[in-house]
Amino acid sequence: MHRLSTALALVLALPATAEEFNFAVTTDPQTMDPHAVNSTPVLGFLNNVYEGLVRRGKDMSIEPSLAVSWEPIGEGEGWRFKLREGVTFQDGAAFNADDVVFSYERASSEQADTSSWFAPVSEVIKVDDYTVDIMTTAPNPIFPDSIANWMMMDSGWAEANGAERPDKEQGNFATLNANGTGPFQVVSRQPDLETVLEPHAGWWGEVEHNLTRVTMTPIQNPATALAALLSGDVDFINPVPIQDVARLEGNPEVRVIQGIEARVIMLGFDQQEGAAESGQGAADMFLDPRAREAVAKAINVPAILQTIMRGNAEVASQMVSPAMRGFSEANAAPYAYDAEAARSLAEEAGLAGQTIAFKCPNDRYLNDEAVCQAVTSMLAQAGMEVSLDAMPVSNYWPELRADNFDMYLLGWSPGTFDAEHPIRFLAATQDDEAKLGSWNFGGYSNARVDELLPMIQSEIDDTARQAMLDETAKILQDEVAYVPLYVQPLVWGARSGVELTQRPDDFFILRWVTVN
Amino acid sequence: MLSFIVKRVGQSVLVLLITGLVAFSMFTFVGDPIDNMLGQERTIEDVERLREQLGLDKPFVVQYYRFLEQAVQGNFGVSYRQGRPVAEILLERAPATLELAAVSGIFAILMGIALGVFTAIRRNGFAANLIMSASLIGVSLPTFLIGILLIYLFSVELGWLPSFGRGDTVDLGGWTTGFLTASGLKALILPSITLGLYQMTLIMRLVRSEMLEVLRQDYIRFAKARGLSDRVINFRHALKNTMVPVITVIGLQLGSIIAFAIITETVFQWPGVGLLFINAIQFVDIPVMAAYLMLISVMFVAINLLVDILYAFIDPRLRVAA
Repeated sequence: MHRLSTALALVLALPATAEEFNFAVTTDPQTMDPHAVNSTPVLGFLNNVYEGLVRRGKDMSIEPSLAVSWEPIGEGEGWRFKLREGVTFQDGAAFNADDVVFSYERASSEQADTSSWFAPVSEVIKVDDYTVDIMTTAPNPIFPDSIANWMMMDSGWAEANGAERPDKEQGNFATLNANGTGPFQVVSRQPDLETVLEPHAGWWGEVEHNLTRVTMTPIQNPATALAALLSGDVDFINPVPIQDVARLEGNPEVRVIQGIEARVIMLGFDQQEGAAESGQGAADMFLDPRAREAVAKAINVPAILQTIMRGNAEVASQMVSPAMRGFSEANAAPYAYDAEAARSLAEEAGLAGQTIAFKCPNDRYLNDEAVCQAVTSMLAQAGMEVSLDAMPVSNYWPELRADNFDMYLLGWSPGTFDAEHPIRFLAATQDDEAKLGSWNFGGYSNARVDELLPMIQSEIDDTARQAMLDETAKILQDEVAYVPLYVQPLVWGARSGVELTQRPDDFFILRWVTVN
Repeated sequence: MLSFIVKRVGQSVLVLLITGLVAFSMFTFVGDPIDNMLGQERTIEDVERLREQLGLDKPFVVQYYRFLEQAVQGNFGVSYRQGRPVAEILLERAPATLELAAVSGIFAILMGIALGVFTAIRRNGFAANLIMSASLIGVSLPTFLIGILLIYLFSVELGWLPSFGRGDTVDLGGWTTGFLTASGLKALILPSITLGLYQMTLIMRLVRSEMLEVLRQDYIRFAKARGLSDRVINFRHALKNTMVPVITVIGLQLGSIIAFAIITETVFQWPGVGLLFINAIQFVDIPVMAAYLMLISVMFVAINLLVDILYAFIDPRLRVAA
C-alpha cells in the first residue's frame, strides 16, 4: 500500500513539478533594457526574452532568427536582411521592418551602451515591411556576427511607455519590464530578488524545452548557492566554485558542466615612454621587448592551471581562444616556459634591481588574485622583483586608467567572437576620436598593426583576411605586446536530470533546457 | 527640561551631519561606479559623459551638499544599479530586515532570559555548565560560519529548511510579510537563529550574573527562611529585580541587530536592506550606500536621544548637569 501510494504520488507529482525550473545567478541583470547595458549578465538573460535578426547556435555559429536570410549588397556597401513573417511580440504586436529601424535608432543612440556595435553603420533603410538594408561605411564581412546580441524592441510598445531611448541614470519603463519576441516572457520582476519567466505562447520557433515556469534568483555567496543546489532549492547554479568541483563530482544528485569560456586572461605592460609611474620602479622598464619576453618565459602557465584552476583551463597563445573566428593556427604555440632564459633576458633588459608594480583585480576573474600571486612568485624565481597590489574591480579600472602600473592582469572576451575585436580594443594605438585602443592601458603601439586593422575590418575574402590576422598575431607575439596566460574555464552546476547546453559566451539559454 | 531636549536634538543633528560627511568622503575609496555601469565596449568619451551626468566630477563636498539638499526633501536619488528611486527600494526591502530583526530579537530575549535564569539557579549543574561552554563557542564563531554550518546541517543534510531567501510573502498594502505563509515562517528560522545567537548569549550571561547577584541578597535569604517555595523566590522576587539592567541593554541592542543583519542577510540571501547595502558596495552604488548609512545613523542617534531623554525624566540631576 505504501509503495503504491508512493508510486502514485510520483506519477502525479512529475508533470506538475518537473517543468518548474529554478536557477541561481551571481549577478542579477541590472536592467531589462536590452540596449542600456552591454554586459554578460544582462545580454545573457535577455537573450531568452528578446531576439535579434541573427542568433548564435549551440556551437556559437550565426543562424537565422528574426531574419530568415541576409546577403551583402553590391561590393560590400551593406547587408540586406529578409525578415521573418508572422512574428509577434509578447504583447501581441506584430514584428516588422519598422521595429528594426526603431531598434537601430535606439541601440545606436548616445544613451545606449550598445552604440559601438553600430560604429560601421551609416544608415538603416526599410525597403519594405519585411526587408531591411543596413548600409556600412566600408565593406564589413563580420557585420552579421557582430549584431547577434542586438535585440529587437517593439516601436509601438516603447513609444506607448515612454521608453524610446534607454536611460541608464534614471531608468524608465523598459528597465523593469520587457516585451520581446523571444521564447520566454517576464511575468514578474523584482530586481535583486526574483525574476519569473513563462513561455511565450506565440513564439515562432520550435519549442525544444519542457519548462512551464522559470524563476531566477541572484545568490551572491558561492557557499550558499552551492548549498541551494545540493539541497534542491535550485536546479542550476553558475558558477560552481572551482575548489568544490572535485567534491561535487562524487555526488550522484548533481552534475558539473565544464567548458572553456571565450575569455582569455593575459598580462599587460606599461609601454609608454615617460608615462606616469607608480613610483615603485624606474620609468619605462617594459619599453624593452626583452623585458616583456622575460616575463613571458618566466611564467609556467601549465603549473598555474594545475594548481589554481585544478586542471580546468587551457593555455592561451593569443588574445583569442582557438574557438574564436580568426584564431591564428600559424601562431598557436604559447610562449615556452624557460626560467633560465627569462633570468638572462631580465638582466639584459635591466629589470634586475627594479621592482615591478603589478596590479591585479581580486573579484573580477576566476581566482584572479591567486593567479597573480603565482605569477609574482614565478617572476621572483627568475630574478625579478614584483610588488603585487590586488584590489576590487571598482578600484582597479580607475587605477589602470591613471597608468598606475608597470604590469597588470586583464581578461578579454571578444563580443563579436572574432579575433579582430581584441586588436581593435587592446592592440590598436589609443585614439579617442576613432574609438580605437580604448582598453589599451599600456599604450602598446605598432604602425603595422594600426595599418592592418582597417584592412581586416573590411576584407571580404576569408583567406586574405586570415592572412592579415595571422600577420597581426605574429607581430603581437614577437613583440610580446601582451602575455596571454590561459582561457578561463566555465563551471556550471545542475541537478541530475537537467539537460542543457553550455555556450562559451556564458549565456544560459533556457530554450535548450529540459528537466526530466 | 525643554531646553535640555532642544540641546540634545541639536547635538544629534550635528552628529548626523558629521557621520554623513565622513561616510560620504569614504565613498571615494570604494571605487568608481562608471565602469560597472558601462560595458566592455565603452569609450573614454562615454565614461566622461556619464561621470558628468552623475555629478561625479564635482568635489565630494559639493556632492555631499547636493545629497543633503535632496535628502531633506525625502529624495535619496536614483540607484545607479537598478535605475529606480532609492527611497522606493529601501521601503521595499525594509520589511524583510525588520521582520528578521524582530524574530531574532524575540528569540534572543526569550531564550536568553530562560537560559540565564536556568544557569543561575542550577549554577553548578552539568546542564548549566554545558550551556555556558556552548555559549562561548557560539560567541566566538563568526556569524558567517554559523550561518553556513546551519545551512549545511538543516538544508543540505536534513533537508528540513530552505537554504536561502524569504519564502513566499504576502503583500499587505506595501508591507510584504513572511509571517503568513508556511514557507515564509520556515525561511525565518535559520537566519533569525544566526542573527540572534550573539544577542542571546549576551542576554543570557547578563541575566545569569544579575540573577546570581540578586540571589545573594538578604531579602532572598529572608524569603527562604520564611519558607517560600523556590518557584516564588526565583521568579516573583529575584527575576523581577534582575530585569531592570537587562531591559536597558536589550533596548540598546535592538539597533545593533538591524545593523548586524548585513552578514546574516548575505549568507542567507535574505532580501533586506543589509544585502542591498552589500550589493551597493560592490557596485559602488553611491546613492544607495549614502541612504543606508544615513538611515542607520539616524536610527542609532534616535535611540540614544530617546534613552538620554528618558533617563533625564527619571533622574532630575542629569538635567542640571547637562
